[in-house]
Amino acid sequence: MTTTASRPVAVRWVKKNLFSTPLNVFLTVVLGAAIVYLAYLVIRFLVTSNFEILRVNLALFMVGSFPRAQLWRVVVALLLLAIMAGLAGGMLKAAARERSKDAGIRLAEVRGSRAVGSWLRRFWPLGLLVIAALALTRTLTPTLVAIAVVGLLVASRWLGAHLGPIPRRVGWIVVVLLPLAAYWILSASGLGWDDWGGFMLNIFLTIAGILFAFPIGVALALGRRSTLPVVRAFSIGYIELIRGVPLITLLLMAVFALGFFLPRDLRPGSVTRVLIVITAFEAAYIAEVVRGGLQSVPRGQSEAAQSLGLPALKITRLIVLPQALRATIPAMVGQFISLFKDTTLVAIVGLGDILAASSFANAQPAFNAQGLARITLPFVALAFWAGSFAMSREAGRLERRLGIGER
Amino acid sequence: MTDPQTANGGKPMIVLENVDKFFGTFQALDDISLTVAKKEVVVVIGPSGSGKSTLIRCINRLEKHDAGRVVVDGVELTDDIRNIHEVRMETGMVFQQFNLFPHLSVLDNVTLAPREVRHMAKAEAEELGMKMLARVRIPEQARKFPGQLSGGQQQRVAIARSLAMQPKMMLFDEPTSALDPEMIKEVLEVMEELAASGMTMIVISHEMGFARAVADRIIFMADGQIVEVGPPEHFFTNPTEERTKTFLSQIL
Ligand SMILES: Nc1ncnc2c1ncn2[C@@H]1O[C@H](COP(=O)(O)OP(=O)(O)OP(=O)(O)O)[C@@H](O)[C@H]1O
Ligand SMILES: [Mg+2]
Repeated sequence: MTTTASRPVAVRWVKKNLFSTPLNVFLTVVLGAAIVYLAYLVIRFLVTSNFEILRVNLALFMVGSFPRAQLWRVVVALLLLAIMAGLAGGMLKAAARERSKDAGIRLAEVRGSRAVGSWLRRFWPLGLLVIAALALTRTLTPTLVAIAVVGLLVASRWLGAHLGPIPRRVGWIVVVLLPLAAYWILSASGLGWDDWGGFMLNIFLTIAGILFAFPIGVALALGRRSTLPVVRAFSIGYIELIRGVPLITLLLMAVFALGFFLPRDLRPGSVTRVLIVITAFEAAYIAEVVRGGLQSVPRGQSEAAQSLGLPALKITRLIVLPQALRATIPAMVGQFISLFKDTTLVAIVGLGDILAASSFANAQPAFNAQGLARITLPFVALAFWAGSFAMSREAGRLERRLGIGER
Repeated sequence: MTDPQTANGGKPMIVLENVDKFFGTFQALDDISLTVAKKEVVVVIGPSGSGKSTLIRCINRLEKHDAGRVVVDGVELTDDIRNIHEVRMETGMVFQQFNLFPHLSVLDNVTLAPREVRHMAKAEAEELGMKMLARVRIPEQARKFPGQLSGGQQQRVAIARSLAMQPKMMLFDEPTSALDPEMIKEVLEVMEELAASGMTMIVISHEMGFARAVADRIIFMADGQIVEVGPPEHFFTNPTEERTKTFLSQIL
């Protein structure tokens, strides 16, 4: 398109989309004014505020009371997780590319500046968070770490996308082992979960909660459809019981009431208790999401499989579940995002997550009673929004990738 | 018990004796007795709701009959899961809605059962699968996904998927009634070849041209009962029952 032609096109677009009818004009003016005013408020906030409270407490927000001399462990864990994420992403991409090539579908390949643009569109809030955090640091080390993380992500993604089928199998094993290694590094030398805190704790509770709750949720959803009355009754009872109770109540019970029921030696640490509660809670919700997915698979699918002589377990595993889970990706990610945000509830039962860090910082003598929650809470909000945004964007891509060739 | 008589005097492949089937209080099959010989092709016709689907679904236990006996190649269908499995292994079924597995490629659709049920090695299963796809004349679509194919192609894949289990008999439940007219022929041709190769078949279909060409017998069902049975000529020239005449006048 030439520059001479682009101006009338732009004018036409504005006319057509922003000022086509009186109502449209009205909405454009009112909402436009609101947006401009909000932008003014944000900029004024950024320019006039003193972010010293974040600068001093950045580590507290990120890792809680994790021993400062051991911070290198967090760094190593981050690097390992970056490799894992890059590898997994690259290998998924390669697999999708092969599937579609075999099926004769041309996937739109984005390269070069377009690829960077696509990354920016998906991760700009996350980038904003990282830049905001780095701007608050006083040494160069965190910036170098961030650069290393991004570098490793890109490199391992490239590697993952270029592995042959057999090295890819090894690659998936590595993908499973890397988080275990990261976990081991974070918890070695006497450090346990209970030393974890800050945003790291929120992220850990989210990921571990998902990993533990997902298989239990799927089992409960299948149990709900079981022909065995006891299994069905248990599944329904469990799901309905858990869904009828607020998460915060369960968390409070686990932390403050469990002591009455368990002997002293058997009482697990707070993070463990909270993780058990989150897992138990999420499993019930995941079960309901999966149930919806199971119902969306037509009966003809299992009938066709039955007529081929496939046994019931294989029908579930090979035919019904793959289709059901694919159908649940949007709802499932919504569930994961709400779990991510719900992890802040652990602040109420006394764990040092990022929200607790905010209160803690505001109680420090240097910052006490100055209304600095207006600085710390937006930072907490930015952290969650950045994470949630990236999750939902990635889920959309995963859905499209898995759906290759369907309908 | 003596071997039931079959139309062409061969050994029976499928025997139904006084079969009843209820859905709640509604009787879908009413005292059905039928014997299908090896290599015989039976076409079932009848108005909607007459129990045609229910009849063939009782043969591979997608429905459980409530009374009478169903014996398939000498194996009686009871609650014994091993018998059910054995019958399903040697019975192929083709559905009106194809019921291909949308998340698997065409070749994976065809090789799934040989690999998972017959525990065939991948290479061997794929060779067999390609042979079956060639038989239904779409080997070039092997790597595509069902959603990329036309209805006629999908139904042929479904036939190949059943054939890959090397069944002794095939059940077809209105295989062409979800297809656009121009695709019906390609599916019927495949079925005709199958019949010519000696496959035992029960086909629910109102494609009377097909019935005339390949059926050994036509069965007319109404209200869960077999009303009239006979060779195609009988139906086209002088059906005896009034209900048969009325029905045929509607579809011909
Ligand atoms: N699962 C079921 N539950 C209740 N009733 C059923 C069920 N399946 C079939 N029926 C009833 O049984 C009767 C026979 O159904 P069937 O599907 O065998 O008929 P059909 O001859 O195949 O009809 P069509 O030509 O419409 O396919 C119908 O009245 C139907 O409503
Ligand atoms: Mg029917």
